[in-house]
Amino acid sequence: MSAENQVHPQTKHAVMATPTHDEFSRQEFVRSYKNYLVQNVHSGNQTRYEKIIKPKFEKTHNRAPKDRFEVGKEMVHDPYYQMFSSLLRTSQEMMWSSCQVPVNRDLENLNEKIKIPKGTKTLGSLKLDTELQIPRYHTAVDIHCQPGGYHSEVTEDDASAGLVYDRAVHIYAMGQLGPYNDDIGASILLWLKNNHPTMAPRKILDMGCSVGHSTVPYAQAFPDAEVHGIDVAAPMLRYAHARAEELGEKVHFSQQNAEQTNFKSGTFDLIVSHILLHETSQKAIHNIVKECHRLLKPGGLMVHGETPPYKNMGPFDAFMLDWDTRNNNEPFWARSHEIDLEKLSKKGGFDPKNQFETLIPSALQVAEAKRSKVFQGGDFGGGGLWFIYGNMR
Amino acid sequence: MNDIKKLQRKARGERPVFFEDPNVDKLISMIMGLAGEVAVLHDRSDTLERLLQTKGLVKQSEIDSFEPSIQVQGERASWRKNYLSEILRIIESELEGQKSGDREPYEKAVKRVETS
Repeated sequence: MSAENQVHPQTKHAVMATPTHDEFSRQEFVRSYKNYLVQNVHSGNQTRYEKIIKPKFEKTHNRAPKDRFEVGKEMVHDPYYQMFSSLLRTSQEMMWSSCQVPVNRDLENLNEKIKIPKGTKTLGSLKLDTELQIPRYHTAVDIHCQPGGYHSEVTEDDASAGLVYDRAVHIYAMGQLGPYNDDIGASILLWLKNNHPTMAPRKILDMGCSVGHSTVPYAQAFPDAEVHGIDVAAPMLRYAHARAEELGEKVHFSQQNAEQTNFKSGTFDLIVSHILLHETSQKAIHNIVKECHRLLKPGGLMVHGETPPYKNMGPFDAFMLDWDTRNNNEPFWARSHEIDLEKLSKKGGFDPKNQFETLIPSALQVAEAKRSKVFQGGDFGGGGLWFIYGNMR
Repeated sequence: MNDIKKLQRKARGERPVFFEDPNVDKLISMIMGLAGEVAVLHDRSDTLERLLQTKGLVKQSEIDSFEPSIQVQGERASWRKNYLSEILRIIESELEGQKSGDREPYEKAVKRVETS
């Protein structure tokens, strides 16, 4: 078996959906299909660009394309790019479908397993707010093509979105987020260990936590800390709570909007988020940073994990990383990747002197050598690096 | 495969079109869907072979070296003929129409019926 065919399976736990033989094969096919596109098809776009599209542009304009928009105007007419894009979009839709089928088949039982009866002694907690307004940036478009988004409920006490998501993330990242899909959280923790070795946060908040993939590692790393995870979507939180309990980790989940929470000012020593910012609007990003400033204790730390901004990329790379904006239901992706982070911090009330932005290595070192080392649409986590932005209060 | 009845299937948001003819995008989706189903079938027969081997009923080498008898070859050829005929139905029926001269446009057919 060659290295690229090596399988990094997701660790099973009691509350996840169990696929049948054929359902599992269908999911495995999507993973291989995505992997094939990343390994064998994606790089052809660059070849087309450098050998055909760019020289043709230079001939007519006497210069190279100046930005990702000019690259895009040419690329969308290229048959190779069209085929690649159509295949990649299809893989995303097949991924969700393959994960929906087992959940849909057994939804009643699965929801029953996830529901923790009142009065049960639990490590953490779950607080839902049925009155919470789901923000428009979340309801306008179902992010990364998950049908129904994170928030839709099809039955009472529904966790279907979380059930589908837990499995889909593993396939989406082709296992590159680790057996618990927690690599972004784990990588920030690794960075903290190396850069703030004495830090011992007593209260930690994870914003936009979804099913808690990246929340759980904080509870594991700081067992004495009080760890909170918030999200706007109830189905995700129901699943997150059941999953964390199943994994034996103490996390307090509550349904809240990160733009305006009900925590008291100066509550937290550490506030983190993992690929949250690009799913929200410009206004919301500013509100979130402002809210972080309000919620942090003096000396507290805010760290947002993301994919890298476009500013240090060439026009072609930026165009390819921007693929998701139009083609994978990520309408806010582009603008969030072009935001002025210094201004953002300043507007939020932070001192830009204490601001940081850097690429950090993925904690999942094992697969490191086999990775593509580039950031490209459809290869989530494949770069082996994450981008973090943050501020000390 | 069970029907998706409860969960929403379409992700809210505009689906991008990459080819000049949007039907090509749909064809790609169908072809990859079919490719996926073939992979599922492959895994299923692989499972069967492995189970048979584990239970000592059939060895992998017996499958690989299996030589279909003339009769089995004939039966398989007949199955493939029907199979191809289903897949290539559109070609066959077009040819059939050409042969029988069934190329009359609807307007003409309607006129012929109404005026007879």
